[in-house]
Amino acid sequence: MSSDRVYHLVALQDLELMIREAQDPTKKEEEEKLGFPVQGMAELEKAREAVLKKIPQRDLRLYQRIKAKYDRVVVPVRSWICLGCFQALPTKATRAVSENGPLPTCENCGRILYWL
Amino acid sequence: MTADTFLSYFSERRFIRDLRARSKEGVLGEMCRALAEDGEIRDPNVLLEMIRRRESLGSTGLGKAVAVPHGRSTAASDTRVIFALSRKGIDFEALDGEPCHIFFMIVAPYDDVRHEYLPLLGKIVEIVSDDAVREQLMGADSFDAFQAVIREALGE
Repeated sequence: MSSDRVYHLVALQDLELMIREAQDPTKKEEEEKLGFPVQGMAELEKAREAVLKKIPQRDLRLYQRIKAKYDRVVVPVRSWICLGCFQALPTKATRAVSENGPLPTCENCGRILYWL
Repeated sequence: MTADTFLSYFSERRFIRDLRARSKEGVLGEMCRALAEDGEIRDPNVLLEMIRRRESLGSTGLGKAVAVPHGRSTAASDTRVIFALSRKGIDFEALDGEPCHIFFMIVAPYDDVRHEYLPLLGKIVEIVSDDAVREQLMGADSFDAFQAVIREALGE
């Protein structure tokens, strides 16, 4: 489905954040000190591979291109504000994602937009 | 952290007096849906997927009847907590193997610019480590009662 295109990119970004934090000794220790185990990295890596398979190559290329520039590739939109660069989006900006069309991106920072 | 600051992450609409779900998976789904119904999240499935992945790193069932599922997601624009009780108790694969009755689900934005996430998680863990507070939370039958327990626990 077309709306799944952004959904899978959000899932990928969330997973990559989780993997990064689980691999960060300081963050891991902070969580474990509170009583929350942080194990099973292999499961997360497997999940990441599975999500990657669901993403069309051109979307993945765009994701990687933006990632080279910013930590956050997909950013939420609230009240027509891109929460990546905090610029107002033009009213012509569309939240619709078609099957083969371009993904919605911020005209200012270029990040992929996810409407809340 | 003051009681007012702590309570600002909660709301009456994110207070579940008695969960309908009877399984761990069901609890996570019910709580994520409650967050979406509150208008905070457009699609509960995005959140649910993230919360499930976090659980795969190890159960957030702390033991002593408490679970604190948590995580950060692109789908969240603000840090929010949902509080829920299960009178029957849920097998949440808690560290002590006992059923969980008290649930705090924390969802924070991907970037957490205000650095709220870990201090909030820590404060919840601190609050529920007190036997008497857990007992009082179990008896909270309204959001007002919940707030009163928290205020007392935080010494106000």
